[in-house]
Amino acid sequence: MTTIAVDSVAALCDRVREAADRHAPLRVVGRGTWLDAGRPVSASESVSTRELAGITQYVPGDLTLTARAGTTLDEIRQATAEHDQWLALDPHGGDQGTLGATIATASAGPLSSSFGTPRDLTLGVEFVTGDGVAVRGGGRVVKNVAGFDLTRLLTGSWGTLGVITEATVRLHARPEADESIMINLGDEAGVGRTRELLRQLPFSPYACEIINAPLAKRVLGVDGVVALIRLGGNKDAVAAQRAAFAALGAVTDIDGNVWPRLRTTEGAGTVVFRLSARPSEIARVWSAASAAASEFPGTLVSAMPARGIVRCIAPGAALDAFRIWWARPQQSLTRIGERLSPELWATCDSPTADRISSGIKRTFDPQGVLNPGIFGERS
Amino acid sequence: MGTASTLSRPQWPHGPSRPQQTTAPLPERVRRLNQPNVSECRRRSSIQRDPVEAAPPSRCSRLDAGLALDAAMFTCHRIKFTVPPFHRSTVPPSSSPVPPFHRSTVPPLSSTAYLYAMPPRVANIDQELADSLAAIVGRRRVLFRPSELLTYSSDGLPSYHKQPGLAVFPGTRDEVIAIVCELARRRVPFVPRGAGTGLSGGALADGVVLIGLNRLSRILSVDAENGLAIVEPGVVNVALSRAVAAAGLHYAPDPSSQAACTIGGNVAENAGGPHCLKYGVTTNHVVALTVVLPDGEVVSLGNSDGEHEGYDLVGAFVGSEGCFGIALDITVRLSRNPEAVRTLLADFMSIDEAARAVSAIVATGIIPAALEMIDQATIRAVESSIYAAGYPTDAAAALLIEVDGAAAGLEHDVATIEALCKNGGARTVRIARDETERARLWQGRKKAFGAMGRVSSHLVVQDAVVPRTRLPDVLAEIHDIAQRHRLRVCNVFHAGDGNLHPNIAYDASDADETARVHVAMKEIMTACVKAGGTITGEHGVGLDKLPYMELIFSSDSLAAMCALREVFDPDRRANPDKVVPVHSCREWHAAPAARRAAATV
Repeated sequence: MTTIAVDSVAALCDRVREAADRHAPLRVVGRGTWLDAGRPVSASESVSTRELAGITQYVPGDLTLTARAGTTLDEIRQATAEHDQWLALDPHGGDQGTLGATIATASAGPLSSSFGTPRDLTLGVEFVTGDGVAVRGGGRVVKNVAGFDLTRLLTGSWGTLGVITEATVRLHARPEADESIMINLGDEAGVGRTRELLRQLPFSPYACEIINAPLAKRVLGVDGVVALIRLGGNKDAVAAQRAAFAALGAVTDIDGNVWPRLRTTEGAGTVVFRLSARPSEIARVWSAASAAASEFPGTLVSAMPARGIVRCIAPGAALDAFRIWWARPQQSLTRIGERLSPELWATCDSPTADRISSGIKRTFDPQGVLNPGIFGERS
Repeated sequence: MGTASTLSRPQWPHGPSRPQQTTAPLPERVRRLNQPNVSECRRRSSIQRDPVEAAPPSRCSRLDAGLALDAAMFTCHRIKFTVPPFHRSTVPPSSSPVPPFHRSTVPPLSSTAYLYAMPPRVANIDQELADSLAAIVGRRRVLFRPSELLTYSSDGLPSYHKQPGLAVFPGTRDEVIAIVCELARRRVPFVPRGAGTGLSGGALADGVVLIGLNRLSRILSVDAENGLAIVEPGVVNVALSRAVAAAGLHYAPDPSSQAACTIGGNVAENAGGPHCLKYGVTTNHVVALTVVLPDGEVVSLGNSDGEHEGYDLVGAFVGSEGCFGIALDITVRLSRNPEAVRTLLADFMSIDEAARAVSAIVATGIIPAALEMIDQATIRAVESSIYAAGYPTDAAAALLIEVDGAAAGLEHDVATIEALCKNGGARTVRIARDETERARLWQGRKKAFGAMGRVSSHLVVQDAVVPRTRLPDVLAEIHDIAQRHRLRVCNVFHAGDGNLHPNIAYDASDADETARVHVAMKEIMTACVKAGGTITGEHGVGLDKLPYMELIFSSDSLAAMCALREVFDPDRRANPDKVVPVHSCREWHAAPAARRAAATV
């Protein structure tokens, strides 16, 4: 596949315009760290925003940052850390991915249970539509209702409505205390207990993930179902939070590096998907995921009780058997694929097949050149 | 009744002296509309009927009692202003005799002649349409006489008055759907309206049909365990919080008009409020929607039973100002009531110091639930009103700061904020001792707009956002602008997120002062944009901010917004001529070649 890395918005406009004129579909990529995610894209050419990088505006007192799409999360982390601030986005896959790709895919990790997803933290975007026009939505301030919300529309659109070239995000000041703890829940019954405790607590931890035994072994070297919890705030608050979680079991301090390890556990060739329901049903969602894990030994399972989401990473070697499991009814759960085989993707409905979504696609990408097929839409 | 005083004391400050009498021709696109079949629309509506439509009677009763109280409070609060009273109070009760439809023959009064003049009507808003809508909702729910329609000729920003050609008040979702289908069949534009408390002229219908939605006021279901509620669009904001209070929950977005404004209106405007600094604005609290599109099709947006995949259509709909359709039901996220709340009032002898204290507080990592600034002019207005809150009248500015959350650690935050304020120049920092004192401090803030009625007979309420660090500069510039134009500006605003509300008190009968107000408002908006800000943070664009949209968006960006609107409403019949300047709405699909040519020049 031919990849052209553009280094200016004008060059990107030209590139997209030229592709539209030729009706030549483009694969839109950032640094290409997660190209096996999403449905297969039918394109023989690619355009990358990795050279369209750099922080363009950062006023620490405003707690906002504007960066070009190709800027990595790691660069933003370093720049903001100097001022005791951070961008509270920790998508699975690590910090080498770009800001543009994180927003385009609305990828979120453990911190989303407290800080929200890219939809909550992105204040404005600039993007190039499928006919090569630069458009801006939102702004650089933390509150803005001027015009229709193109920012939310582009966030999570997987590059199908426009190539994001720049984004403004909301930052947070780092807390006085940021501590991580683990509680060995023993077995699956701990999932429901954790959810119930979270519902009753007068605070929300920064993150709370429940991980199954294989995943606990991998990231912590311990056996059993484990709750990983990240606490933040002033020292008094964190001490009280820590004490509150003792109701679940013995609290053990762990190094904060467990979170990057958790976000980078999936290997190449694995099958990754998420199941979700309302948070009160997290135990049922976990059971459904555990049923899959029991059929495919080595499946890594992590749950986010606050959002009712369970994420599964199944070994690719089990793919044939996995197809049978995948075809079974999912007990009214919402199932979203992250990384599947083409055959499995073919069994998934397109989430953009409705009249409004397909109309929006035609409006912003009339020639259908941007990431065609990534939402399973018919061309 | 509020209506009577409105009629006898017209105080519209600056709008056209009288409505245009010309009949607006329908745009070409409207005439091309493929007419949907009404029976098909109705069939769809019955299929889409929500199984939880009937709310428990006990809940409804409590809600109605609360609404009556809120309505009374709001009327009192607004007594000094020309404001649109609720149509709740003007829709004829069901027991009243059925009035026949006919055009009014009321002779014009000399002082209010224009108010009684026939509004400009779209050609096909006629007796036949009124009859067909009456067949859906009953005659008493269709207002057609100009005198009856006066109530709806303004919203909470009485600078504008546009009279609808007809107003209809459905009571059920099926009636809403049937009305929208009928209007689609007849190619008639319409404007959805909640309580009419908006501050941008967004809910004004200029000769077209107004659909009043606040009879749809039921809370359909509450899932306390997951913090979710499904509500109809006419549910009053504070009524929802009251209804779920027993479960330890509340609905976080809290615009100052929360005692009157509706959730549907909040969704249309993406409303904010003081506590949105910590909890987020409306869009952060809407999970799913059922919407009737302008052509009558009913669609479900979002997913309340798990993650959502695909385009964020809920995000696109929230804040679309009634241009994308009408929400029939709204699934909102409820927030847990905090275990503890502490409210502080810090007063400063300099606005600049107060503004710098705001940045210092936010920089610590503490996210206050609210961080409001009230300047001296506002303080004095509040303190001389029935809403007196005990603010020090000699202070240049006061900060009203609230922190909430778990009790553990909260005192630490309070101590930090107190120290920051004192180090930053605060003369005193007062901490509310109990809930009564806290409520009093908040009343002063939330009723500040009402209190400004003591300053002058008219008020322009403005809304802009600047980067927080630019607050001192921009406030100084606003002060200079006011001085230059000899105007009185009162600032009361959400300082924590830089959301300014510079309000200008003036006398609309003074043409010279009114003209100076216009010039000053434009200069203030320009200053905010120049500082890196935006033209509205929570009130919406509506009519009021239309002229400023081109200050912040390129023609391509505005055209893209128009194109998005046309996906939902190809004929632009829903809330026409709002949000995006009409001249920006060129044909998106027809223009790529032209755009490319322009881009290559």
